[in-house]
Amino acid sequence: MIAAQGLRLPRSLSGALPLLALLLLWQALAMSGLLPAQVLVPPLRVSDTLIAMLRSGELERHVGDSLWRLAAGFAIGASAGLALGIVAALSRWAEAALWPMFLTIWQVPVIAFVPLLVLFLGIDESFKIAIVAIAAFFPVALATFDGIRSLPPAWFEVARIYRTTLPDLIRRILIPATVPAVLTGLRVAVTRAWVVLVAAELLAADSGIGQMMEMGRQLFQIDVVMAGVVVSGLIGFLLDYGARAVERRATRWKSA
Amino acid sequence: MNTLPPQHPLHRRSVRLATGLIAPALALIWWQSQAAQGGAHAAAFASLGSVGGAARELMAHGSLLSDSLATLRRTFTGLGIGAGLGLTLGIATGTWRGLDRLVSPLLDALRQVPMIGWLPLIGLWLGTGDASQLLVIAMSAFFPSLLNAHAGIAQVERRYLDVAGVLRFSTLQRFRHVLLPAAMPLILTGLTQALAFAWIAAIGTEILTGGGSGLGVTMQMGETQQRLDIILVAITITAALGFAINQALLRLRARLLRWQTTAR
Repeated sequence: MIAAQGLRLPRSLSGALPLLALLLLWQALAMSGLLPAQVLVPPLRVSDTLIAMLRSGELERHVGDSLWRLAAGFAIGASAGLALGIVAALSRWAEAALWPMFLTIWQVPVIAFVPLLVLFLGIDESFKIAIVAIAAFFPVALATFDGIRSLPPAWFEVARIYRTTLPDLIRRILIPATVPAVLTGLRVAVTRAWVVLVAAELLAADSGIGQMMEMGRQLFQIDVVMAGVVVSGLIGFLLDYGARAVERRATRWKSA
Repeated sequence: MNTLPPQHPLHRRSVRLATGLIAPALALIWWQSQAAQGGAHAAAFASLGSVGGAARELMAHGSLLSDSLATLRRTFTGLGIGAGLGLTLGIATGTWRGLDRLVSPLLDALRQVPMIGWLPLIGLWLGTGDASQLLVIAMSAFFPSLLNAHAGIAQVERRYLDVAGVLRFSTLQRFRHVLLPAAMPLILTGLTQALAFAWIAAIGTEILTGGGSGLGVTMQMGETQQRLDIILVAITITAALGFAINQALLRLRARLLRWQTTAR
């Protein structure tokens, strides 16, 4: 039956075809000389630049620095968000005391903290780690809070009847039941943190993917800028993809 | 531990409100003491008085209003372009599978790049003026509109379309009376996201390119002039305006979807 429908390309391949066509078109357009080389460089030039930067270790340095900042800031922001989310969700008093302020500050776009942080921390590493931490903090805190609050109150009543201790309550009820929500929060956090980090590096950095692109712009090296676009897109994709894979693995038991 | 008895004092509104003010009050006191101490941080910690002074100064100047209007104008122009294109294309790809197969892989690839990450490249093409900013804002609004409109149209239930077929609806009637209402909740979700992203992109591009006027430009100016008070005023206005336009959109959404709650 399926064979009768004729030759059908696998889904992934049929998705790659338009991309390939675009690359060919781009290459042809760039080689035709209709547009000056400062405006459009052929994709092969971009890949040459990428390979050259990979060989010289320059790309590795930029990517390494960016990823290190992402990891450090994410670790700080996500743990703080997790802690606040848990405390505010479990204690009505903590919620009343902390949540209004949290929701107010949440209204500020994270990128608006950039000038503020630069004033306090300068443009060193601590500034970039801090902005990543802020970007990661809010989604994780919100997801944790919502995850715990959406648990049926009956579960807590059962726990109370059995005189479950707090560590047991956390380990046996809170963690398994809120893992899906928290993982979604962590995924949103890591992708947002990446976006904000690239923006912060565009503004002020001596290394990193964002700085690489900004330097390329200032020096009119469009191939370097395009290489940066490709690499930052690839990293963003891999972060999201990886986080989704973790989410699927960790929540497999739910569908089973 | 999660539930308090109803007569517990924390259930009283005023007590809750007062509890909510403890943390900000402590933060303000700490802040003020840091500002009063002088020394290394004195430049950074602007006293509350100076923040108030800066707010009055900027307001008397009229620049706070013109900055807000400039940022709002950028946001809504970018939103108009980006969401207009995004909705159109999303409805089109939701309707025609062939078009979806053709353009969706391309758009998915482009979507992976952080929107502000396009700024250096766009800067090379269009310069670092208004056009570059608008393009980035429009792109930020484009993708959420596109994805939600696509999902909204693609998820319309088959039986609704069957009914339309039985009634011999024309293509236009089918779109107007079946597809569009069914996709409306997701389209509006897309628009809400698009507005939030456009707002963030407007502030971000203003901070990064910093020309003309705008709340982000003012923040950037405050940074270079080491004026924390100005930055704080601009941040406060940004938060308040962002909150207000989001609330306005949520109300509009509730109004437009009134029929939904009555239908169910």
